[in-house]
Amino acid sequence: MRIAITGIGAISAIGRNCAETLQSLLNEQSGIGSMRVLGSVHKELPVGEVPFSDAELKQMAGIDLSEPMPRTALLGLLAAREAMQQAGLQNTDGCAFISGTTVGGMDLTEQHLHHYAQGQALDHIRLHEADSTTRTIASHLSPFAFTATPSTACSSALNAVLLGANMLRTGQAKAAVVGGAESLSKFHLNGFNTLMILSHEPCRPFDAKRNGLNLGEGAGYLVLEREEDAKIRGAVILGYISGYANTCDAYHQTASSENGEGAYLAMKGALEMAGLTPGDIDYINAHGTATPNNDLSESAALRRLFGSQMPAVSSTKAFTGHTTSASGGLEAAICVLAMQHGFIPANLHWSETAEGLVQPVLHTEHKPLHHVLCNAFGFGGNESSLVLSLAGTDLSETALPSSLTPIAAIEELDDSAVSQMVSGAEARRMTPQMRRIVAAARMVLQQTGITPDAILCETEWGCMAQSMRFLQDMLDNDEQQLKPTPFIQSTHNTVASLIAILTGNHGYNATYAQHPLSPSAAMMDIRTQMALGQIHSALVLQFDEQVESWDQVLAHVGDQMTPIAHAYIYKV
Amino acid sequence: MEQLIEQLKSQIIEALNFEDMTPADIDTDAPLFGEGLGLDSIDALELIMLMDREYGIKLADPKAGKAIFQSVRTMAEYIQANRTK
Repeated sequence: MRIAITGIGAISAIGRNCAETLQSLLNEQSGIGSMRVLGSVHKELPVGEVPFSDAELKQMAGIDLSEPMPRTALLGLLAAREAMQQAGLQNTDGCAFISGTTVGGMDLTEQHLHHYAQGQALDHIRLHEADSTTRTIASHLSPFAFTATPSTACSSALNAVLLGANMLRTGQAKAAVVGGAESLSKFHLNGFNTLMILSHEPCRPFDAKRNGLNLGEGAGYLVLEREEDAKIRGAVILGYISGYANTCDAYHQTASSENGEGAYLAMKGALEMAGLTPGDIDYINAHGTATPNNDLSESAALRRLFGSQMPAVSSTKAFTGHTTSASGGLEAAICVLAMQHGFIPANLHWSETAEGLVQPVLHTEHKPLHHVLCNAFGFGGNESSLVLSLAGTDLSETALPSSLTPIAAIEELDDSAVSQMVSGAEARRMTPQMRRIVAAARMVLQQTGITPDAILCETEWGCMAQSMRFLQDMLDNDEQQLKPTPFIQSTHNTVASLIAILTGNHGYNATYAQHPLSPSAAMMDIRTQMALGQIHSALVLQFDEQVESWDQVLAHVGDQMTPIAHAYIYKV
Repeated sequence: MEQLIEQLKSQIIEALNFEDMTPADIDTDAPLFGEGLGLDSIDALELIMLMDREYGIKLADPKAGKAIFQSVRTMAEYIQANRTK
């Protein structure tokens, strides 16, 4: 079977839709500039903002001004709707909507946390959760049979594409709208600032003097369907998904390894699935954040894989800023535009090379592109690569087994077992519940003696203790002098990637934000992958922690947090 | 100077969550990174923040920390010379 792309949607600092995005790319017009919408005190930091207020976005999306809606959901709705309109996808019976995000409703929480204590703005509270952002977008689009929210930091949207493709190949979806959305928030702007990786100038990917990234915001989606279904519908096919892979660098929470092991394995895996050799790739849309670390590590991985056959490379983050969880969706949409219109987007603001860095393309080049590679890498070493092609590649397909049961489970652990499994030195940055899940994971791995092909985690609220710690610090100290560790540990994917780092596991690694009413995305993920033979074993974690301050907030809406630290092994 | 060194050790223990450690456990002249305390790049960011919060010292370039954070003594000397509070 072949996976056709029949619609794309994009919104970012360089355009409200694909047509505007295309024009900005061709004209080499960057969207990075002064902060106008985000209410942060750090006006010295350039950003790639979508230049509209939330009220203006609501108007564009036809949303009632009084309806509380995270900015991430507004951006996602606009781009997903564009993709579905282009595809002419109206009947979504049996279809999936898979949308990555990490910020979710954080923009509302940071504005209203002090209101909640006074019993105000209570209808905003549940919107904090990342999976509710996906459900909100879906509710304004069409009834979908399945929704999911990959939350692997900056590779979230690309991982949505992977799950959608696997569902099509196993008959679990008739069509899949896949991608991601992320708005700017004071929370992650300040977080990246504590890591000292934000540039005070427009970013310069792959340049010798690059000194950090600019944050951006936006959304990007693809509509995927089986080629034969697209043809029956009479849809125009824009391109195909021909290969993909997800790996873990298993090196560090916020830095990439020197030799780019995870990135190398992801790109290699994607090429192998596509049945392509390095010489077949015409263009690489690099992750290229313009931090000293990413660009050097990604260059090392590119040189290892492509050697003397290096294709044209550029990072479009000098146009859009780093749109974090949305970047994989936005940049995949840019790759489709590049193939459709036969051009390589420029790598803006580059002036000088340095040892070890790849040489990017400096200006728009017009040439036919047959196969392009799109990279998205995230905190925790969550690396994903996607090959998109103008002509289709046959991918295997199979039916899904009816059920899957774990061969081992750890659902309860006493405190002494936890301290036995996790040493004091290892634990110094972990919250008590993180120690518990690491101990449970180690114990179930020890019991079974399995080195899992995949590590997955599902979590309703994510790493909420560290998130609330960083948020409170930020609000109390007016965005000044913040401690970096709580931010580093705040992303949803902290647990799954931490366990990969501790066990040196370079396999598939994913985290899903999981609303209690959504079907289990982690189970859908491993069932499809096991059926397709991509993995044979998996460690699946369920994680949530109880945080007193947030529990008090939830009490206002008759809800509460339920701590959980379960570890399961599945095997075929 | 000795007083600053003792105070700094307590602040490092707190900032980096070395729960089971006391100032006496830290050798003033031992390397902070690699051997010795075995700190990493996240700790370096925490130490930069510590100097900002406690002593009013702002480092714009994280790489500048390398020379300063060789040991507790080099860090104390730098603070002594550059503190604004």
